[in-house]
Amino acid sequence: MYEELLEDIAQTNGLREVNTYTKLAAGLGGILLCLLSATCVAPLFIAIALSLALLILARIDVKTYVKIFVAPVIFAVFSVSVIILLAGGETVFWSWQPLSWLSLSFTREGINEGIFVFSRILGGTSALLFIALTTPMTDLFAVMRRARFPEEVLDLAMIIYRTIFLIMSHLVLVYRAQVMRLGYRTIRESVHSYAMLCGAVFIASWESGEDLVRAMESRCYDGKFAVLGEGGPVSLRSAFTVLCFLMISGILVATTRHITFL
Amino acid sequence: MGHIILEARDIRYRYPRGPEAIRGMSFHVRKGEKVSLVGPNGAGKSTLLLMFNGMIRPDSGTILIDNAPMRYDRASLRTIRKRVGFVMQNPDRQIISPTVFQDVAFGPTNLGFSDHEVKDAVENALRLVGLSGFDRRPPHQLSGGEKKRVAIAGVLAMDPDILVFDEPTSGLDPSGSEDIMELLDELNQQGKTVIISTHDIELAYPWADRAILLLNGKILQEDVPDVAFGDPELVRKARLSMPTLLELYCELERRGFALPERKPRTVLDMINVMDRAFRNKPCYTEPGSITLFDVDAPSEVDLHAWRASNQEVPIGGMGTRAKQYASDMLISLDFTYGVIDKCILKALLGEDSLILITGSMVKRVHDRVEEFCRENRVTIQVTMLTPASNSGESRP
Repeated sequence: MYEELLEDIAQTNGLREVNTYTKLAAGLGGILLCLLSATCVAPLFIAIALSLALLILARIDVKTYVKIFVAPVIFAVFSVSVIILLAGGETVFWSWQPLSWLSLSFTREGINEGIFVFSRILGGTSALLFIALTTPMTDLFAVMRRARFPEEVLDLAMIIYRTIFLIMSHLVLVYRAQVMRLGYRTIRESVHSYAMLCGAVFIASWESGEDLVRAMESRCYDGKFAVLGEGGPVSLRSAFTVLCFLMISGILVATTRHITFL
Repeated sequence: MGHIILEARDIRYRYPRGPEAIRGMSFHVRKGEKVSLVGPNGAGKSTLLLMFNGMIRPDSGTILIDNAPMRYDRASLRTIRKRVGFVMQNPDRQIISPTVFQDVAFGPTNLGFSDHEVKDAVENALRLVGLSGFDRRPPHQLSGGEKKRVAIAGVLAMDPDILVFDEPTSGLDPSGSEDIMELLDELNQQGKTVIISTHDIELAYPWADRAILLLNGKILQEDVPDVAFGDPELVRKARLSMPTLLELYCELERRGFALPERKPRTVLDMINVMDRAFRNKPCYTEPGSITLFDVDAPSEVDLHAWRASNQEVPIGGMGTRAKQYASDMLISLDFTYGVIDKCILKALLGEDSLILITGSMVKRVHDRVEEFCRENRVTIQVTMLTPASNSGESRP
């Protein structure tokens, strides 16, 4: 509940001022190339390149980055081990059939498949985090407007964005007040306190909704929501860097189609 | 004083299923006035303020703007809300948009300004409150004082004539409160009528032209601050406390000292009162001088060189842009609030001082110093900093 939010990191990262489209090109391009690639080489390259960019260029704290990265990796380790054990193949290193319908085995094909999937997850995750950690939501709103998202959806999204932080700060306040009076000492009490927390926050958000309407009314709301102008122009240097990154990744995708690990 | 811009005639209001919040009030506000509504919690201050821009409609009685009764159809309300800007107590409740720019642009956009006009209005408003360059910041990352300024900018961008503030200094630290009061002064200086509600008497007392004491939905007293706050009986009834300076004055009076008629509103006034009472002359030595540096006027004056040759001279900042200028030039200001008075105090001790000032405030300094000099028969020089006085040969 006291964790730093991804959005807060994004608002202050070193690549904040770089043009949004440039950053999106790097991130989305990375994801696309990870999906197109047939081997683990290109995804691993993308993972390393984007992670380094995040750590060095965007000056994201290493500890924070590792912490964010660990969750998907743990998930990946589990699913990849299942893939390796269940996928059959011709070159069998080890196998075991505990039940008549279940056979577990290590095969060359299975292991290759597992490594491939794992590298894709790494590449995709770092590309996604690259977008999440360098491009704050507020900049994405401008892009969404450009991409002709329906006005209603976008206005709602912006109000929701603003409200999330208000409700969250209220949540923290109530939670602290409860903890200070030992609200979460026993399991029974925790359940009770949690229910109260939900109730209190619900009422608070209801009230802040009414205030929102009042605030909009008192400033002549007429169905229009201002748009944030787009950030800095595309700079040649960053565009060139992204282009190089995408080209190298693309070449890797094309040339490493037949390379396998084992 | 200007014409009557806002008037209430016997207004009453009862909240649904609640007690009567406003129980018959009549008063008026003139153009260019600074009025503070003072009263304890539950006196009806906020309810009253919400009526000024038509958010609440009184059950009976009328509110008049420019002598025309307020009408409550959609189009009229729009016009009223453009003329009467309302700044809520809690800026978090007023800021709606995900970024500072969007929030300040909210009003102008809905008033149908073109993109270009919106941009100008926002830039202008942000400059006025001293938040230039905050455009892309999300509100949840700002400090309390900054949020308050964003809320004020959002209202200023619509260019209202009357500004209504509900508890403008609540939740701010003392220095932040002083900055906001100074900003209100500056806006008033630019011709806006400012109405605030507060229970901080110490801030309202020197600031307001007129104070209206409220209690239980009724007007208890309405007068210039030293009269409104000067009656111990009324002040106690309104669950407030008398401003320290006023109390001190009353105590001195009770002890039989001959005091000037005008009651002190600032420390300068008080010092003056005491000097008169005990020594019967305001000045200790030859008075010092006050030098002004207009940050808005293009000038060849090299401020750094001037400072180098006048190192002990204290510097004050008046106006948001002047303070911005000081922080840009890495000049640390000695006074940021009540600057004129503090500089006169210095001058009375025979010391010089410099004020970095926003263009629109220059006249105010001259007026205040002149008034003081006339009343006390002293002469304090006020000069603009020009290249000639820059050459280090300033007066001793």
